[in-house]
Amino acid sequence: MARALGIVSFSENHIWVEGMETYRSIAAFPFLGRYRVVDFPISNMSNSGIDRVQIYIRRKPRSLVEHIGTGRHYNINSKSGYLQMLFTDSSEENDYYNTDIKAYADNLDIIERASNTHIVIVPGYMVYTQDFNALLKTHEESGADVTILYHGVDNAKEAFQNCYCVNLNKQKGVASMEMNSGSKKNRDIFMDTYVMKKEVFINLIKEAQKVSSMYTLRKIVNEKCIAEELDVRGVAHKGYFAPITDFQSYYDANMALVDIKVAKELFKDEWPIYTRTNDSCPTQHFDTSDVKASFIANGCLIEGTVENSIIGRDCVVKPGAVVKNSIVLSDTVIGNDVHIENVVVDKFAKVTHLKEIIADPKKPGYIKRLDNV
Amino acid sequence: MKQNNMLAMILAGGRGSRLHDLTNKVAKPAVSYGGKYKIIDFPLSNCANSGIDVVGVLTQYESVLLNSYVAGGGRWGLDARDSGVFVLPPREKADANLDVYRGTADAISQNIDFVDNYDPEYMLILSGDHIYKMNYAKMLQSHKENKADATIAVIEVPMKEASRFGIMNTDPETGRIVEFEEKPAQPKSNLASMGIYIFNWKLLRKMLLADMKNEESSHDFGKDIIPALLNDDKRLFAYKFKGYWKDVGTIDSLWEANMDLLDKKNGLDLDDRTWKIYTEDKPSLPQYISSEADVKHAFITQGCIVEGEVKNSVLFTGAKVGAGAKVIDSVLMPDVVVEDGAVVQRALVADGVKIGSGASVGSADSEHIELVAKNVKG
Repeated sequence: MARALGIVSFSENHIWVEGMETYRSIAAFPFLGRYRVVDFPISNMSNSGIDRVQIYIRRKPRSLVEHIGTGRHYNINSKSGYLQMLFTDSSEENDYYNTDIKAYADNLDIIERASNTHIVIVPGYMVYTQDFNALLKTHEESGADVTILYHGVDNAKEAFQNCYCVNLNKQKGVASMEMNSGSKKNRDIFMDTYVMKKEVFINLIKEAQKVSSMYTLRKIVNEKCIAEELDVRGVAHKGYFAPITDFQSYYDANMALVDIKVAKELFKDEWPIYTRTNDSCPTQHFDTSDVKASFIANGCLIEGTVENSIIGRDCVVKPGAVVKNSIVLSDTVIGNDVHIENVVVDKFAKVTHLKEIIADPKKPGYIKRLDNV
Repeated sequence: MKQNNMLAMILAGGRGSRLHDLTNKVAKPAVSYGGKYKIIDFPLSNCANSGIDVVGVLTQYESVLLNSYVAGGGRWGLDARDSGVFVLPPREKADANLDVYRGTADAISQNIDFVDNYDPEYMLILSGDHIYKMNYAKMLQSHKENKADATIAVIEVPMKEASRFGIMNTDPETGRIVEFEEKPAQPKSNLASMGIYIFNWKLLRKMLLADMKNEESSHDFGKDIIPALLNDDKRLFAYKFKGYWKDVGTIDSLWEANMDLLDKKNGLDLDDRTWKIYTEDKPSLPQYISSEADVKHAFITQGCIVEGEVKNSVLFTGAKVGAGAKVIDSVLMPDVVVEDGAVVQRALVADGVKIGSGASVGSADSEHIELVAKNVKG
């Protein structure tokens, strides 16, 4: 039976989340009050029986390393399995040379030595659930060289702006990949997720290195598709799917889940999403609190109004405060009579003096980490 | 052991039979409390936060769940090298028959070999079914300053209730205990023993070996060991504890202890970041409050989904309240489901119980809190 080594990859250079990414990689972004984005790929692997996982980190490691820690909370056997955090320590001035290929090449000896037969590569910046065991099975049965995941959408004109799309032929073979230009409504969005035999992976990395030092895995796989040198097949993903590729998509990905029906698509009893506990006590709702259609993490003191929002751990919402359509990250304070709407408040911020911050939901506002406003 | 040379033993064998159906299958220390905790999380977290590395948990009654819950100690960070939580049920030994623990002191006596492995200087005895936060390191410091043979934590109780407790009569100047009275009819002081003791292990070891052979003894710390120490004129000191402390013996008091959490100034201060209470973490969503919900004055934890009305209540992990349902002055233990339109008033609903659609349990003006331990059909 195929035994896969898991790789959690980082995003390509064209992706940058304004504001939040200054402090941590997208994988370490808080998500839905108590999670981090990386909890989804790692839980998917853990639930699929993949117990050797490499997590590649390009910059700002503190937050991600702290969150993953020993990895025990991901339910991975710490003796026969492991969670490895691998840093790309590039001395290059230009970030464009700091590619995923370079990161894999730097650690190729570890990958070669592992007894695993297959590699599953999943992005650390997309939120979805997927049984990789089932995907491995599909891959093996098809006899393809590489199997990738895609997600069919009907709003590619206004969303998925920084994503790539796959062009499929009738046999679900991948003919090519291209950047979403926003010109068509219906597109198959590439999920940056691959399954392949280890040898195929190693050969791709070695070849890519020879060709160009700015190559990425996606680029070389695309060229192999176009040249028909590799049999690359696409598998359609069903269910909740949210790539975090800019600030708007981060906001939208969270807000979509405030509808519990959508949240239930992502969170199923038989597919637990693990995360690191903070040991906060339960949340206190006071007499003056009024909460509607919201997710609230533990450790909060809610004395004000919260509507259609997500509140992280250990937050305080003071009397008279109104939080609407907003994402409030951990350890923040929303002061008396402060009204915020369509805003992301980053960790440890205190909004007390400025009494009204109302942004457009199509251009949500952002309050910096540790900021006092 | 390296940190302060004190080993802790938690007495967790009691059934707590006045909790009725709640303790049919689990011992009292494993009963859920405060939204996400079990009662034994409190002494275990106190140990972890006080720098105690080795904790023995003495189990007896229905210990399977408790054993699996505390084993390993990782939840409280008590799993480093030279550290651990050890479950100690009664066992058969080469020189003794399998016997139940005959009393609190006997539970320690039967595990002298375990304690000897660590050769501690001090022994901390705790009860597994009290809810409180306490820094045992400070108590040990006072024990050392007094050059005491034993130190007993005490709490001031209202004088009119003192006859329900074991009462310490002390020298008001020094705090030295001059007399111990178990449930005195005419109490001379209001300092009640909390069942928390620090002993010099060498002395306690000697006392326990003698007590084991004493056929008159009931092998109990309060009834036998403490009086014997006083009799021998040993140096026993009271250590005054100030703060929230609760021994939840009945359904009413368990309900009340949960309701205490609704008052922000309850003194237990679960919110204190410097003294967290650690517990099992379940992979569940943050709590979800729907657009139709009406939540006021409530203590709610992760995994809960509220679509109805919740007032003056505590909801434990995974509890669900359906649309149009009402939960008032009540405690919903883990995974309780209150279906659409059901009403729960002044009730404590046990783990996993389902209140069917439109059903009604408890009543607003009842004298006692209703315990709902079985599913109620709608």
